[in-house]
Amino acid sequence: MTVTTGAAVPRRIIRRGTAFRDAGPPVALVVIFAVFAALSPQFRSIANVQNIVDAAAVLAVVTCGITFVLMMGSIDLSSAGVMGASALTVSLLVANNRNDNDLGLLGIAVAVAMGCAFGFLSGLALVTLKVPSFMATLGVSAIGLGVATLMFAGVQPNISDVMLKSWAIERFLGLSYLTWIAAACILAGWLIQRYTRLGRYAYAIGGAEEVLTLSGVRVKPYKVAVFTLAGAFYGLAGVMVTSQLGAGLVQAGNGYDFSAITAAVVGGTLLTGGRGGILHSAVGVLLVMVLTNGLVQVGVSPYWQGGVEGLIVVAAVAAAVIPQRRRNQVVK
Amino acid sequence: MSTPVAVTPVAEPATAKSGPRRAQRITGFMPLIALVALVAALTIADPDFLTQRSLTAVARTAAPLIVLAAGATLIVLCGGIDLSIAALASLSTVLLALWLPDLGGLATPVVIAVAAAIGAVQGVAHVLLRIPSFIVTLGGMSILSAVALVVSGAGTVRVVDDTPVAWLELYLAGYVPMSAATALLVVALIAAVVKATPLHSWISATGYSESAARLAGTPVDLVKIGAFCVSGACAGLAAVMLVSRQFSGGPTMADNLLLPAVAAIVVGGTAITGGHGSLWRSLAGALVVTLLRVGLPIVGVPSAYEQILYGAIIIVAVALTLDWSKVSIIK
Repeated sequence: MTVTTGAAVPRRIIRRGTAFRDAGPPVALVVIFAVFAALSPQFRSIANVQNIVDAAAVLAVVTCGITFVLMMGSIDLSSAGVMGASALTVSLLVANNRNDNDLGLLGIAVAVAMGCAFGFLSGLALVTLKVPSFMATLGVSAIGLGVATLMFAGVQPNISDVMLKSWAIERFLGLSYLTWIAAACILAGWLIQRYTRLGRYAYAIGGAEEVLTLSGVRVKPYKVAVFTLAGAFYGLAGVMVTSQLGAGLVQAGNGYDFSAITAAVVGGTLLTGGRGGILHSAVGVLLVMVLTNGLVQVGVSPYWQGGVEGLIVVAAVAAAVIPQRRRNQVVK
Repeated sequence: MSTPVAVTPVAEPATAKSGPRRAQRITGFMPLIALVALVAALTIADPDFLTQRSLTAVARTAAPLIVLAAGATLIVLCGGIDLSIAALASLSTVLLALWLPDLGGLATPVVIAVAAAIGAVQGVAHVLLRIPSFIVTLGGMSILSAVALVVSGAGTVRVVDDTPVAWLELYLAGYVPMSAATALLVVALIAAVVKATPLHSWISATGYSESAARLAGTPVDLVKIGAFCVSGACAGLAAVMLVSRQFSGGPTMADNLLLPAVAAIVVGGTAITGGHGSLWRSLAGALVVTLLRVGLPIVGVPSAYEQILYGAIIIVAVALTLDWSKVSIIK
């Protein structure tokens, strides 16, 4: 922003800072992995590495969605609710023990579309009602959980659809199908972020929304579109959880909202927007998974997982804010 | 920096607000109107509703919610938000249940003090590290839940001898539940202290325009930390009320109170942009939310709609109370 001609020195510093920020998370990933590998023989086994990557699949898909929202400088707390609603939708539409539906892939598509609808709702509340995104998505999350509870209706739907169940069990090149789906999502997310107007504008909105508005870009439709896209990812994540559990649960998305924010932030996506991206977040997801898996292997109670994530988020956000401490006086 | 980009100042020259706008005046009475309408509707749906017994039940259910919402209102008035209140209350129920056998009567003040300290720590983190309050408290929520799980072993902690907190189950003058009376007292106390001291103008100034408040010499940082501290203490008190009612503490006991508490604040008409609102509004908001909660089964609506309702209420109420002139860009 402050780059003018002849300001070569600051520019180089900025560039070096950016390079450091980009290199930091992968280096941290390697270091943490090495530390745990040294501490625990179980951790460094091939099976455990497979385990970590497979366990990261759902979180990776949720994080893909949330990354786009974070890039805009907004935040999304709705994934838990959306995932619950989509989990129930898909489990009631594919072959299950509650009704005679057997829609297969179409059922999955409907569940993803359901996620889109919730994302659209969040986006609409943001741009038309001007409700800040964390409030709007908090509300949408509650609505999603309510819809899921309505569909649950007291009887757990167990799925018997062969294809959906196989996603979590069948393996290709040593990794479960779900992991490959997650990889495909990361690739798709990266392509969208890199090569579509939606992705570029998401960056721009996060970087300088005023400038974008003044240049004549109609920002609002893109904001709604980004939330809708994020909703689609959450919908797919709900389907994936259903495949893992073999049943549709209201709590399918419990905890994923915060874990995804942790992963994105630790990967280098700034909550103020305009920085980071899908690949950063993918590294962040692996970081979070290695950390939680490693801590359990070393003997730390799994209940601490949320605590570790909370500390990471606060620390990562604080570290990102330090360079601008003096500048931005008002923090709400 | 010196490049004079021709930016037409979009900011309308701060129109000197001559009294509240019409929308604000309407939202001002919104909680009261909603309250009266709800009571009327429930009385029509179920004539037994306006009996002393069911009203007492409502008051007892509302008490922890009122306390939680009252504390968090102070933070919202400063322009922030506290998402950790429910998790903090859950942790406090566990701590209280664990400490009651050893500390007896002292356990209550100790738990409230610990909760206040935790709130203050979050406030300090928010102010010193310059992290947005909802991130600090979202992280705090996660950390506090984890601590509660570890401390309690992820199970309910039974309270065998609850005499030190049993006073909350008594009835004042035979009718008014002690917990509700305490909640009212707390709201009145905080409101009175805020009103009687410069705190009122400090909090409003912080909420309306933080940078202006800072320039005017308001101790903005201290006000914010204080607000978080009071919010923490309120979460602790709400936990005491919950324990006295349930005879146990649990690591997720109060977690489902977060949405109702946030809903109570915004339904009351406190703007989440800060400055505009009051504790009494949150009291009315908490009663509205409780009536909805109690009333849905009476009208015959499945309780699953409760969640949907909270979600819709939060979005709509925030949209109605938002100070649109202040925020040009909503993230």
